[in-house]
Amino acid sequence: MHPSKLKSIYLSLLLAFICLLLPWSGFSLKLRPDFLLLVIIFWLIRAPNLCNVGTAWFAGLCTDLATGGIFGQFALAYTITAFFAVMYQRRLVLYNGTQQLFYVLLLLLISQVTLLILKVFGGAQFLGWTYFLPSITGVLLWKIAVMFGLNTGGRVRGA
Amino acid sequence: MARGFNHKLEQQQAPAFFARGPSAFARLVFFSALSLALIATDSRLQYLNSLRQNLVAILHPLQVVANAPSQLYSATGEYFSTHHRLLNENQQLKQQALKNDIALQRLSTLALENDHLRQLLQANKALVESSVLGEIMHVGRDPFTKKVIVNRGESHQIVAGEAVVDATGVIGQVTRTYPLSSEVTLITDKSLAIPIQVERNGLRAIAFGHGRDNTLDLPYLPANVDIRRGDTLVTSGIDGIYPAGLAVATVSKIEITPDSPFARIICVPTGGVENHRQVLLVSIPHIDLPASSAATPSTHKVKINPTKKPPQQTPEKSQSAPMSNPHAPE
Repeated sequence: MHPSKLKSIYLSLLLAFICLLLPWSGFSLKLRPDFLLLVIIFWLIRAPNLCNVGTAWFAGLCTDLATGGIFGQFALAYTITAFFAVMYQRRLVLYNGTQQLFYVLLLLLISQVTLLILKVFGGAQFLGWTYFLPSITGVLLWKIAVMFGLNTGGRVRGA
Repeated sequence: MARGFNHKLEQQQAPAFFARGPSAFARLVFFSALSLALIATDSRLQYLNSLRQNLVAILHPLQVVANAPSQLYSATGEYFSTHHRLLNENQQLKQQALKNDIALQRLSTLALENDHLRQLLQANKALVESSVLGEIMHVGRDPFTKKVIVNRGESHQIVAGEAVVDATGVIGQVTRTYPLSSEVTLITDKSLAIPIQVERNGLRAIAFGHGRDNTLDLPYLPANVDIRRGDTLVTSGIDGIYPAGLAVATVSKIEITPDSPFARIICVPTGGVENHRQVLLVSIPHIDLPASSAATPSTHKVKINPTKKPPQQTPEKSQSAPMSNPHAPE
């Protein structure tokens, strides 16, 4: 279809995955945004015909492998998030910057809550509200990327 | 006219903008079902272990690439470290080596004496553990568990169940091995239990990881138990995993409430769970055991069971049912 675009999608996903693999520790681990999910949300908005729920599922599986948890947890969380992103993709493109930011925050929270539910069913403890920090830092990262000229399909940038 | 136009449109292929394949909901249902099936398979059955090992081996080059920047940073930091600091460190290390040498001399005489006494009593010889030096590659990425990844794996004869120790104490246990790395669950993880002994009075108990903070709990001990603040807890060595006498934690807080028959005891691990990079993976040899106890057939069963079983069972057991051992074995 668009070989160059498809290539750039997979390259950006690979880069995001390497960011995930960086040796984070201590407090930075608590703050670490979900790079892979952010890149997927970006491509879901920009090119839903190339990057869809299946891509998100596969990326989730890679994250599962990297975190060493049970297979399928991140995959399910990413799948559900991707579904909500694709559902409202046509509207999302028309949102302005701030609206889009809120929606991205909502998507990141959906993924975290799904993961939390799965983990708690698996016998883990709730870690306190700092667990949701990566969503906040993720949105900040999104904002910074937009400020540096990343076109997320927002209307303000086009005008 | 209009009909003919529509007909014409249908003939053409839909433009890429409209080509969306199956609906989003269909995809959601399909991939969610797939994920749920994976979760069920991975948590209840053992089919995916070898697959995971292979995939992690494939992932290893990426991991090396990701670790490269921080390693380069520390390497350049070392390169630019001052002459003065190196001299200082050298002097400190020399002093420490001297102290250790003296301690070792005493230890060797003690070991000889111990061997001799054991021979006199015709008791079995104490096991000699073998160990491998490893380096922590990175901290586990799952915020719900306390794990580290060490750069020694199956290719270095690491087996799941080995104890992991640093210079100051026990830090955890190998729970999963990959070809080139292995996953170590720290003693502060909620699913890990470690049999301990109070150094002062020899009281045995089991310490459980707290999970959230970097502390350990000593549950199910009566309110009048003889444990004080500052007591050192060492491994008891009755589990067949951890060598006896290694420091585990120090008691930091004891809470006794009138409404509970049990004391709430919180301990801080002595090992630098978050600080050190180098760790020692210690394995207690179980191959020698049957051979040595085969010589005394009458004690065969009694000797093998308690020592040989735990290395294979405890990691699984402690993960699936951490509270299955409600009281300390005596």
